[in-house]
Amino acid sequence: MTSAEGEVFDVELEVNILRENERLAKENKSRLESKGIHAVDVMGSVGSGKTSLIKSMISRLKKDLRIAVIEGDVTTTIDSDIISSEGVPTVQVNTGKECHLDANLIRKALDKIPLDKLDLIFIENVGNLICPAEFPLGSDRRLVVVSVTEGPYMVVKHPMMFRDAKVVAINKIDVAAAMGVDPNKLSADVARLNPKAATVHTSCRNGIGVDEVIEKLGLKNR
Amino acid sequence: MHEFAIATSLVEALLELVKKQSASKVLEVHLSVGKLRVVSIDQLKFSYGILSKGTALEGSILDVEETPGFARCNNCNYTQKLDTDDLSFHFGLPQMTCPKCTTNLILEGGDELLITRVRMLAPSTSSTVSTNGPV
Repeated sequence: MTSAEGEVFDVELEVNILRENERLAKENKSRLESKGIHAVDVMGSVGSGKTSLIKSMISRLKKDLRIAVIEGDVTTTIDSDIISSEGVPTVQVNTGKECHLDANLIRKALDKIPLDKLDLIFIENVGNLICPAEFPLGSDRRLVVVSVTEGPYMVVKHPMMFRDAKVVAINKIDVAAAMGVDPNKLSADVARLNPKAATVHTSCRNGIGVDEVIEKLGLKNR
Repeated sequence: MHEFAIATSLVEALLELVKKQSASKVLEVHLSVGKLRVVSIDQLKFSYGILSKGTALEGSILDVEETPGFARCNNCNYTQKLDTDDLSFHFGLPQMTCPKCTTNLILEGGDELLITRVRMLAPSTSSTVSTNGPV
């Protein structure tokens, strides 16, 4: 086929549009595996309690495991300041205008952490239940945090986020009655979307369920 | 709003292809996007239009074929087309438990995010370009 400007030709191919992110995610994963480090990608809305849950888990695990945290946020160092009070290394990643972390940001963050002296990394994603689902980071398990204060339809309205989750924490159950939200209904929604995920009811304020999240994530007795 | 990031990756991949194929211009880009991906096609096209300006991609048609979700049960071989257009069902991801034997369903389609075909223009000085060029 020709046109006035030259010859027209077609190329048939099968290229993953996000191949660069996938490639870097795989690279991050093998880098962590080679050091024997487990990485948990923690996802959930703004205010669901991701930071509080991570902090609660660290205070229980830090005597047995060497832990670091990568904190993703659009701006501020609020979360990494909260976490660093636990005495573990933290790296704040500010995405500026992006609504999610990506594998390249994690690759750069890993350069700032002493990987030879670690067993476990928590990666707190940007508070958002939509975009992070599209960008694997290289973690080997995902934890999704949903709180009852977000209302009764949080799970069914954001189904993709739960597809690859190993554990889903239904957080702030201490205020469930006041919110008029049934945590069991949220658990049932998760079970329908992802029957493989373990669901745990938690309250970081009262320490409820934190040990169970640790156990279901497979972080105990390592 | 992550569509801008996806469009950025798309443009990078296409410009690489243009270079590899020594094309002067891209006329059409065909994508296959699964209905279970969290991608807004309108936003993707809008972002592509902005990012392609001033490049060999400017003015090209971005055609997106949306592929349906499809699940299979590994235990009893039950198959199910996932009706993601039925908003009363579940917006993105329907039930993933087999209704016949309660085993977990495996996703077999609807997860794609691919460039499938690109129509390009070879400079008129070139005389040995096939109509179905190498990948």
